[in-house]
Amino acid sequence: MAAAMTGRGISFIRSVPSVLLSRLQILGGGSQQLSCLHTSASLESKTWERRNLKVYPPQLPDEPRRPAEIHHSRRQIKYSKDKMWYLAKMIRGMSIDEAIAQLEFNDKKGAKIMKEVLLEAQEMAVKNHNVEYKSNLYVAESYSGKGKYLKRIRYHGRGMFGIMDKVYCHYFVKLMEGAPPKIEKKTNFDQAKEYVQSLKNRTIIHSL
Amino acid sequence: NVETSLDVQHPIPLYLPVRTKKRYFIPPAVGLKGKRQENTEAKARAAGIVFRQQYFERPINIACTAGIFDPYIPPEGDARLSTLSKEGLKQRTEQIRQSAASQLAIRKIKEHDSVFTTKDFAEKAQEIFIEAHHALTQFNKEKLHSLVTERCYPEMTRGNRYKTIRWRFVESLEPPRVVHARCPDMVSKGNLYGQVTVRMHSKQTLAIYDRFGRLMLGSEEQPKDVLEYLVIERHLINPYGRWRLHGKIVPSWAPAKDPIIKTLMIPGPELKPGEEFDALNYEVPKPEAVQWYK
Repeated sequence: MAAAMTGRGISFIRSVPSVLLSRLQILGGGSQQLSCLHTSASLESKTWERRNLKVYPPQLPDEPRRPAEIHHSRRQIKYSKDKMWYLAKMIRGMSIDEAIAQLEFNDKKGAKIMKEVLLEAQEMAVKNHNVEYKSNLYVAESYSGKGKYLKRIRYHGRGMFGIMDKVYCHYFVKLMEGAPPKIEKKTNFDQAKEYVQSLKNRTIIHSL
Repeated sequence: NVETSLDVQHPIPLYLPVRTKKRYFIPPAVGLKGKRQENTEAKARAAGIVFRQQYFERPINIACTAGIFDPYIPPEGDARLSTLSKEGLKQRTEQIRQSAASQLAIRKIKEHDSVFTTKDFAEKAQEIFIEAHHALTQFNKEKLHSLVTERCYPEMTRGNRYKTIRWRFVESLEPPRVVHARCPDMVSKGNLYGQVTVRMHSKQTLAIYDRFGRLMLGSEEQPKDVLEYLVIERHLINPYGRWRLHGKIVPSWAPAKDPIIKTLMIPGPELKPGEEFDALNYEVPKPEAVQWYK
């Protein structure tokens, strides 16, 4: 039986996990069709860049002007995604000039890379996406994601070892045309007033 | 315990392997510090992967020429003078019979294509033009390739993939005329291509919308008078060759086109260190008035 390592045998072995899975399915729930296929994002999917390829139909003259959206990303940056998150959170909601200024004078390694990404996105917006004024953009979304890690050995004492991850991250940014949206800040006094009002609104229902 | 079902058919395996628990893990980059000389190509060949033979060839297109040979130079003031004035009459009487080379070329074309007449061809050329532009608005690649040569296709479609174009041919102000013809032969002596220039004066509307549906150029309601010199080409020797739009000639005296709706930044002059930019006395450099081909 072990000598049956022919080509057919290898294909059998390769199909064995799928055979087992299908057999489990048969054993489990009667006639299950293979209709519950779950397509997940593979490691190579570039969904963020594909958002730049969406074309909207021409607007009618009485509709409000649709603001331009530019999606840009950089993949496999040699930096930690958690450290990149702090910078990404900092520039969310800022106008692009302010964001570039803040990143220029930030001491982190990721700030220099982020600044390059933002400048590239700004140039792309003016050249390809029909944005009129390059300062009229603001950062609508910005976040970092985990890239593909390389694994190395970290040697410990007594012959023990650990697996060291060489971390990489992706950085995604979405610029929109227009002025940055203003967030209304609630002052302490307003919050206190609201609290007192909620206390005053208390009533007792169905009482005698 | 072999259960057969009607849905899934699999061959019954000969044996099922039993795996032991994996006790340790060594990441693949273990001993790579010293070994850099072995290349992946040798390893892949040893493993049995066959690479296809790489052809370092550049594709050459024989179906169309690369440009417009001996181009037609449109006379200045064409379509601006009325027919009744003296100069207008002179221009009208400048018929195609004046240039001998065009006559020779037309005779050569008639040898290969017996159905060719100057009067019919002008009408056909206009039809090809209108259909090509309709295909461009719908972005129908196959139809566009059949109506437009490979040299003209990238010029027509560059940058237009993610834009919406709305084009309408309102009417033709003057009947189209064949003004020029040439029959260049490329590379070898008998390889003839016919290039015929057709002049047409028409009213068209053009509106280009960008990716977000905002108007970039032109307007849909306002038609414009357009005087164009189209070059139609055909590979005469090829029995399946078709007359296709090859390009347009833009004369040097053509009026400037309408500006686009958004404002652009023009790069300023190069300054030496210490100089200042004088915005009041600076003249924007205008492009030279040269005939060019679209």
